[in-house]
Amino acid sequence: MKVLTANSLETGEALFWNKGQWAVRFADGERFEGDEAAAPVLAQAEGQPTAVVAPYLIDVEEVEGHWVPIAFRERLRALGPSNHRQHGKQADGDADVEALVAATFVARSAGRVKLIKR
Amino acid sequence: MYRYDDLDRQMLTDRSNEFRLQAERRLSGDITEDQFKPLRLMNGLYLQLHAYMLRIAIPYGTLNTAQLRRLAWVASTYDKGYGHFTTRTNLQLHWIKLRDAPDILDSLAEVGLHAIQTSGNCIRNVTADPYAGATADEIDDPRVWAEVIRQWSTVHPEFSYLPRKFKIAVTAAEKDRAAIRSYDIGLHVRRTREGELSFEVLVGGGQGRTPYLAKTIREHLPAGRLLSYLDAILRVYNRQSRRDNIHKQRIKILVATLGVEEFTRRVEAEWALNDGADIDLPDTELARIRANFRPLAFEPQPAKSQAFEAAKAADAEFARFTRRNVHAHKVPGQTPGDATSEQMQVIADLADAYSQGEVRVNYTQNLVLPHVKLADVPAVYARLKEAGLATANIDLITDIIACPGLDYCTLANARAIPVAQAIARRFADPERAEAIGELPIKISGCINACGHHHLGAIGILGVDKKGEEYYQLSLGGSGGDDASLASILGPAVSANQTPDAIEALVETYLVHRQEGERFLDTVRRTGLQPFKEAVYVDAH
Repeated sequence: MKVLTANSLETGEALFWNKGQWAVRFADGERFEGDEAAAPVLAQAEGQPTAVVAPYLIDVEEVEGHWVPIAFRERLRALGPSNHRQHGKQADGDADVEALVAATFVARSAGRVKLIKR
Repeated sequence: MYRYDDLDRQMLTDRSNEFRLQAERRLSGDITEDQFKPLRLMNGLYLQLHAYMLRIAIPYGTLNTAQLRRLAWVASTYDKGYGHFTTRTNLQLHWIKLRDAPDILDSLAEVGLHAIQTSGNCIRNVTADPYAGATADEIDDPRVWAEVIRQWSTVHPEFSYLPRKFKIAVTAAEKDRAAIRSYDIGLHVRRTREGELSFEVLVGGGQGRTPYLAKTIREHLPAGRLLSYLDAILRVYNRQSRRDNIHKQRIKILVATLGVEEFTRRVEAEWALNDGADIDLPDTELARIRANFRPLAFEPQPAKSQAFEAAKAADAEFARFTRRNVHAHKVPGQTPGDATSEQMQVIADLADAYSQGEVRVNYTQNLVLPHVKLADVPAVYARLKEAGLATANIDLITDIIACPGLDYCTLANARAIPVAQAIARRFADPERAEAIGELPIKISGCINACGHHHLGAIGILGVDKKGEEYYQLSLGGSGGDDASLASILGPAVSANQTPDAIEALVETYLVHRQEGERFLDTVRRTGLQPFKEAVYVDAH
């Protein structure tokens, strides 16, 4: 699945497309079946240069009933910086945010099994 | 320190007004993002993950207290109340809005600060020894020369569109505290046998995906000929570097491709052709600039202070602070030493009260109070401790360099700050950290190496593996007089495994170290093998 995202021209904030509007929360982002299904809205977003900068599609997946971006970078973009958890979108701290936080730091703690002795 | 004159101030005001118009044209749709992007970058404004980032230049890392207070005010008013001091001695604000940027630049210009040439393929902010003008081991004040270069290179029409960015560092001390061998041009002020000031000129250093240490192309350049020689180097680079592959356009690649002898020959040939009399700084102008850096007036101080000695005897934490964080001043009895807005205010207050109103930013991301009396160190320490700024760890394992990483930066592959925090927590016991001794750890979130990982005794590079963060470890780097590039230890490890891996490296060092050896010395003597064996089960 895909979600369309961009940064606000005026504030630089990460935004997510939802039925012709730009939403602030990732959880409000509209999902599309694939690149082909999202192509018309991507073209529409590219026609809004005074609203957003550099719109693009990101891959998302469902994890335990919540949709999350697949790429770690996009998860941080949807949350905010991990060294200041009170800043950015994560400051809301709702169930969607908590699910995204959980999924994000599960991914972070993965690693090469038994590579390190201790 | 250097005081802006009317011409300097007018230039900043004009530049700020120009950017306001450019931003208005972008917001109204009169110009496209493709047209606007190079204009905002020329003013240090990047678009990152969560907002715009403004990179503010701190020339040769020197701030007066009015400037530091203004940075604190800007961070509180337009950002989220904190800023990030970088390895290039700049300050980055990570939550800036485009609509506020012109007002911020106006405010900065009022105190002689700006963001000009903190981005783009031009000559960037010049850096220097953070102890300049305060240390006993310098033969001249490198800030004089850094200021000369700043004035020469600011909006220089010929060098505003170089093949890539260009960085210059200056030191005049025996000990290199400016990492000059990692710069495009490193300048080391020396004296000839006849006592004349001269420069050792090193060219072609840099980090990033292809790290090189700079090589000497001239042992003794007469100091008065500096600008014409820099001009010759920049002209050779500007004309002869590749421009078809962004990864091969730094001067280090040109020097490596031609070989240092051929590169030197071309520079010398260019220098013989250029009109030195027109380019080199007149003595009168050098004297004008130098007058801004004349030695400060210090009251005579005893080499020992009873109050200082008594405070050391009474407080073990303070004694550790003095061992790690206090450096001898050239005048006996004086000692040189991500901040929130409140912390910046505290530092500004302390600098006004105890350090002749001066603060320095070090490339190791520490702040220095350059002129503190020994007798005042206990009072300074007490106030720093209240503000959470008195950690006695300079050059120890917890004194870590880290770039902003993936928490903020759009170029990063992995986070850097949380890794630094995890390592700092692991080695939080100050006695243990002091027993381990000098061990600079440097962390970059991507191959661009803003966190100097190539120069770390332990270097840590964040990499992306299928969307997850991993960290490649390197050992044996140094940015000092014994400069060397770190060597990769083995496969990257996950974020959670990184503190364990660092612990294994430290334990191995403690087992193998000989009398007086730093971590770096032991790695150089033993090679990587014992460290590999400690970290990787399957190394063989």
